[in-house]
Amino acid sequence: MDRVNPDGWVDVAGWGLLCALGADVSTVAAKLRAGEVGLSVDALLERMPGPSVAGRVDGPDLRPWLLRRKDKKLMARPSQLALVAFGEALGTHAVDRSTLALHVGVGREPPDQGQAQAALMAAAGPQGLDETLLAGPGRDLYPPLLPLQTLPNMALAHVSIHLGIHGENGAWAGGAAAGLVAVSEALHDLREGRASWALAGAADSTVDRGSQRDRLRQGAASAPGEAGAALLLTRVRGQGRARLRLAPPPITHPSSVAHAPADQIGDCGAAAGMVELVVAAHCAATTGETQLVVVSDPGQAPLAVEVAPPEPLPV
Amino acid sequence: MKPRIVITGMGAVTPSGANVQETWTALCSGRSAVRRITRFDATGFPVSIGAEAQDPGSAEAWLASRGQTHLLTQVHDLKGRLALAALREALDQSGLEPVPRRPERIAVCMGSEAARPDLAVIATRMRAGALPAPEELAALAPDAPTRLFAAVLGAQGPRSTTSTACTSSSQAIGEALLALRRGDADVAVAGGVDVLIDPIMVTGFSRLGALSTRNATPDAASRPFDRNRDGFVLGEGAGVLVLETEAHARARGADILAELSGFGCSCNAWRITDSPPDGRGARQAMEAALTDARLAPSAVGYINAHGTYTSMNDSSETAGIHRALGSAADQAWVSSTKSMMGHLVAACGAVEAIVCTQAVRSQAVPPGINLDEPDPACALRHVGSAAREVSLNHALTNAFGFGGSNGSLVLSRWTG
Repeated sequence: MDRVNPDGWVDVAGWGLLCALGADVSTVAAKLRAGEVGLSVDALLERMPGPSVAGRVDGPDLRPWLLRRKDKKLMARPSQLALVAFGEALGTHAVDRSTLALHVGVGREPPDQGQAQAALMAAAGPQGLDETLLAGPGRDLYPPLLPLQTLPNMALAHVSIHLGIHGENGAWAGGAAAGLVAVSEALHDLREGRASWALAGAADSTVDRGSQRDRLRQGAASAPGEAGAALLLTRVRGQGRARLRLAPPPITHPSSVAHAPADQIGDCGAAAGMVELVVAAHCAATTGETQLVVVSDPGQAPLAVEVAPPEPLPV
Repeated sequence: MKPRIVITGMGAVTPSGANVQETWTALCSGRSAVRRITRFDATGFPVSIGAEAQDPGSAEAWLASRGQTHLLTQVHDLKGRLALAALREALDQSGLEPVPRRPERIAVCMGSEAARPDLAVIATRMRAGALPAPEELAALAPDAPTRLFAAVLGAQGPRSTTSTACTSSSQAIGEALLALRRGDADVAVAGGVDVLIDPIMVTGFSRLGALSTRNATPDAASRPFDRNRDGFVLGEGAGVLVLETEAHARARGADILAELSGFGCSCNAWRITDSPPDGRGARQAMEAALTDARLAPSAVGYINAHGTYTSMNDSSETAGIHRALGSAADQAWVSSTKSMMGHLVAACGAVEAIVCTQAVRSQAVPPGINLDEPDPACALRHVGSAAREVSLNHALTNAFGFGGSNGSLVLSRWTG
């Protein structure tokens, strides 16, 4: 039954999550509850100040979702994580992908992983970087695909391409709350009739030298991490493992930085809040308890999402 | 019944002018703003041309007049200065301030990508082994313009930042439209800003083969829909709109410039850089915008095309226009103002929405220059090399981004 719920609820029909503690929601939720830690010593960070551990994701294996294997080289880490998480959430649901909405929370452009280093070194003159040298020997050393890998909307692009999604869409910045911004946009699309189904989530990786340097400079003490997390939402009743809605104001919980367990999986940047929301949805589905996820980020108004067990359908 | 959303203020700083009127006058004159790059020594680069915006200078005096000089810590570069200049013009025109208002009812929706420190800053740091200041890092984030605007306005309402490359500010304006209709706000400031003319970006995009290499004839380099187009010209600028519900605008006696009557978006799901040859993503966005505006295709009198003069985009957009409008495509005038001011990327949606607003207000459509030999695959009713006076009630503007996000906006003449 495709009908807008008057109280704002939509069904959670699918989920996907990968982080340092695993690549499925049940495993991650169990390990989080058990207090397990997914951080490990990272060779990339060992010679840097600050934590030398990180919450890395193994792999991931993109093959189930890649249309063309060669496209992997176009994909920076957030795009890879997004593709797996969103692909898992979509699963095998028979959804019209021409109208499926897609909203992705994104972080800063992924800093290049030293790909431009050779070009910049070739352009180093006695006074610093020399534009003439950049135009000359530096140019041929500059990776032509780097601009495409580092645009912030590339995660959205790759998910739409490889999963064949054509509907309403957006790539939303919002710090740790970016994923919840994406979810709120999806909820608006569903409630206002622009879509009957929506994929919403976030993916990010802070496990690189550039991000780590910047994080330390801004006072972050936690280890870096990475994650992809997504939900498949629908206004079609009876589809859900759980249901969720934007918590109506006033929000009685105090606003706070995402309670995502950075000490267990690292700082997952734009995906931090979304990891918490997906785990909360799983918890609501398995324990029958309603959860409230509140996420804010400096400069972003707090967002609160209520997650509840699925609505019992009338007999 | 959806509330009508109106435009009460506009601000723009573009390669064609330091404000909306200068930009509009230059566009209608068919004047190209593409020149040899002056921002850095582009000698030896494969592309040495661009469409540079005039630096509006420090916003210190303006912020000081508002008692907000502390916000200068959030303005580190040309991008911040362009954004503030456009905001200032839009606010001045709207007459929104100083009017008693509820800050929680003011939304800010911006389209923006991450900023980059300039090469001189990188060079200095490489020499000294220095690290960026935390406030500099914060200013590089994609949502920096959104945070800055919210702080200037004292806005505490909905806030969003879209980063979908060339579609960013088009989607930001669409987001504002939806938020106002939903009742989440009474006023929204929406737009976009981008600055791309730096050695790294020129190197990167030229390595992709995306940029025109007509360095010897810069004013002929931007050639939307022309058979001999060879890539786009990087530009820079900012565009900002003040949007309100009709009720709010009338209640405070605001001058209404035009109506923002529709928004639609879609994904191509095709390739990272190319658009599908059949224009299906463009068609879907335009159809959605017209449906949202409750307009038949025949109501569209002018289309400000995305028209980036890459080989694929122009023919794909043409196919999309024909599929979306059907026989009405033969009646709608089409031009790409990127032919004169280059590609403003994240800011192009906002600036071109402003162009369309000026078009419905002025009852004139701007030209698309350098269309010397129209590509047969781009058969549209081209405005041509000179502006035209027309009877125009509704204009459509398209933005199609790297990665395949598409956005279309409908701007309508305000008749009350």
